[in-house]
Amino acid sequence: MFNSIFLKTLRDYRIAILGWGIGMGLTIISPMASVAALISTPEQRATLAVLAAQFSWNAAPIKADTVGGYATWKIGIFIFLVCVWPLLAASRTLRGEEDRGSLDVLLSLPRSRARVAIEKVAALWVALILIGLITGVMAYLGGLAFKAEFGIVDGLWFGLDLTLICMVFGGLALLISQFTHERGPAAGATGGLLVFFIALDMVHRVIPNTDWVSQLSPIYYYNLSKPLVPSYGVSVEGFVVQIVLAVVLTAAGVWFFVRRDAGDVVKVPFIPVRAARTSHALPVGDLSLRSFYARSLGMIGWATFWWTILIAGFAAFMVVVVEQMVNTLNQLINSGNNAHLLEIIKRIAGGSAGLDALFLGAMFQILPILLMAFAVTQVNRWRADEDDGRLEIILATPQSRVGVILGRFAALATATIVIGLITLAVSYVAARQTGVNLDWTRLAEASLGMVPLGLFIAAVGYLAAGWLKTAADTGLLSFLLAAWFFLSFVAPDLNWPEFALRLSPFYYYGAPLLNGLDYGHLALLVGVGIVALGLGVLRFSRKDIAV
Amino acid sequence: MAAIIEVDKLTKSYGGKRGINDVSFQVAEGEVFGFLGPNGAGKTTTIRILMALIRADGGSAKIAGFDCWNQSIDIKRLIGYVPGEPSLDPTLTGGQIIEYFSNLRGGVDKAYVKRLIDVFDLDTSKKFRQYSTGNKRKVVIIQALMHKPRVLILDEPTSGLDPLNQQTFEGLVHEASKEGRTVFLSSHVLSEVEKMCDRVGIIREGKLVRVGGVHELTDIKRFEVTITFAEPVSPEAFERLEGVASVQKLDAASGLRIEMQGSADAVIKEAARYKVVSLTSYEPSLEDVFLKYYEGDGQAPAKEPANV
Repeated sequence: MFNSIFLKTLRDYRIAILGWGIGMGLTIISPMASVAALISTPEQRATLAVLAAQFSWNAAPIKADTVGGYATWKIGIFIFLVCVWPLLAASRTLRGEEDRGSLDVLLSLPRSRARVAIEKVAALWVALILIGLITGVMAYLGGLAFKAEFGIVDGLWFGLDLTLICMVFGGLALLISQFTHERGPAAGATGGLLVFFIALDMVHRVIPNTDWVSQLSPIYYYNLSKPLVPSYGVSVEGFVVQIVLAVVLTAAGVWFFVRRDAGDVVKVPFIPVRAARTSHALPVGDLSLRSFYARSLGMIGWATFWWTILIAGFAAFMVVVVEQMVNTLNQLINSGNNAHLLEIIKRIAGGSAGLDALFLGAMFQILPILLMAFAVTQVNRWRADEDDGRLEIILATPQSRVGVILGRFAALATATIVIGLITLAVSYVAARQTGVNLDWTRLAEASLGMVPLGLFIAAVGYLAAGWLKTAADTGLLSFLLAAWFFLSFVAPDLNWPEFALRLSPFYYYGAPLLNGLDYGHLALLVGVGIVALGLGVLRFSRKDIAV
Repeated sequence: MAAIIEVDKLTKSYGGKRGINDVSFQVAEGEVFGFLGPNGAGKTTTIRILMALIRADGGSAKIAGFDCWNQSIDIKRLIGYVPGEPSLDPTLTGGQIIEYFSNLRGGVDKAYVKRLIDVFDLDTSKKFRQYSTGNKRKVVIIQALMHKPRVLILDEPTSGLDPLNQQTFEGLVHEASKEGRTVFLSSHVLSEVEKMCDRVGIIREGKLVRVGGVHELTDIKRFEVTITFAEPVSPEAFERLEGVASVQKLDAASGLRIEMQGSADAVIKEAARYKVVSLTSYEPSLEDVFLKYYEGDGQAPAKEPANV
């Protein structure tokens, strides 16, 4: 595997190929597992189709009363998660190597710069094809298990469609990374554009006669194909547009890479370059440099900002659209012949309350998952700091190891609390503006109750970081997150025993917007988290650093 | 003078050949101690144990009477540290890094920090990732020196510095030494160690093979005398003389190269019996001594540490 840059890079992706392939496969199988309980009678099928139509902002509700149609509709918004790895990997492909200083050595080989870039990008594309292949095969196997109407070819088309949209955003990240000094801002900007394009694609499903707006988004062309929906098939136009976009963006990225200075960025015309001026001065009054905690907080400031926009923005969006959906649903319920509608909504939302709260209850269950994903990224950074030797000089100062690990954890705790508070404030303002009737105490419980979940997974990650390197630690946490998701959102429909469901932290969060928080449950979760953190602190205070 | 660094039978194993085994030495307060060894010999392992970054499997390490592992915070108040592979937040400027570490340490004299920045001519406005290797090293050296620590622990501190900045660094080490502060540094640059250090320890394959004063070390080592005679002289005439380690006949038939240890009196008297054209004595540098310790295993001196 060390015969070429291509093979070496592909080898580097081997764990990601398996992890993301299986993860994406499970993501598509999960709704297949739960749909069986929702479509056992013709009335339920009809009701589900009506209900799905109210969530058309998420994805086009085509044949949502079938296994493949329901799965396609349900995973609509999850395209955000699907595209995260390719944009991270693509921004790391060239710019990340420059960050680490390893590209200089690679460019000293008797190979052209273009060839180096093309070999690395080709390895990434092959990795995405393999991920798509695994996902497609798993979708087919899931379909077999839950008696879906699609075959292996449809499963593979589905995998290919995912691969193509991943290539588009990978190409975009590669291009943007030619204009940034570090890979982080490139990944962040591409992530921001991804959210923007997802929102742009939603427009035509919410506002009539706005297809032309959504056609500006690559996500629109991904959604043109729905291979898992019976007799819907794939769109050649959608595939061609995605292939052209992926090729053009990637080629542009490579073109700029070949022409710019290694380690520098593309010079943008008309933007004056700041004249170099030597300074011997020290910064004055920078609060983020006052202590290890303050610096830790400063380090995660931008990440917290973007995740707050994502989480609080999602919550606010849900509050804003709930009024429109509830009005339509009320009309449907009152028009009769929809006896199963409320039952299905309750099953999806996990409780019984007013329609406003039922919808928001279902949607707010996604928020802790996002907050936990944020916590996983910060655990990754903590362990990476040790692996990269960045803790060495910190620990050479009179800081105790306990103080260092707790300082970092406290910064993460502060960030999650800020995200929870802003989510609460934004949801409150959105509800006030749109006149949505919500129990404010429960809204506060739902917004702030997710904080212990974020800190719980962080505590587990800090404990595992005592033994595992960055990639293994992040992989373990991602697996746990996926397993907990499965236990809480799929296993109940499979009638798994209660003790198994209790293994997921989401069980202890419950549906606070509907039922309030169970403080006994929460105390148990916090208790286990404190034990995990305590053991993590103990391990860190006794271990060899970065051996 | 009392020892400020006391290392006794220090052992650390990573499995396989890496690590250190029964390393013992002492460094007196105010001394500049050089720690020499090739890559993987155990220099960094020893230093990382002193810094409580890793825990020894056996033996003890103390600085100023404090146990390096159990009382590491007390020790770190006394220490300035330059790691072998410095890694700092790439998004901070040099100025921010220096300010941050001065806050973490507390009680740093800002005027002295300013002086250090000036003497190294460090541009503090650049981000760490934008610095050259040498400038990154300057930032790390400044953060180690800025609080005028009682003990400086420096792992190959001048690696990547240009000769001018190496000279600046040497000046600062001399200054620290004159003020009675202790410097423990590892290096591959032997001329630098010869210039800066009072004593030297040589480590090989995890074992300390030599500890001695820089000058003592060169005094006790073997030296060579090359004598050119007017007529060919048999090597046997010199082989059994006191102080002679070996005699080699040079290609020019009338020359002998004599490797010696100790007094040259017997050799000079024997040479005086013949007509001598020239006589040169070659005193090897520390570099030669160092290389001798790292040449093939069969030629290496005794592995037990020898104090001179």
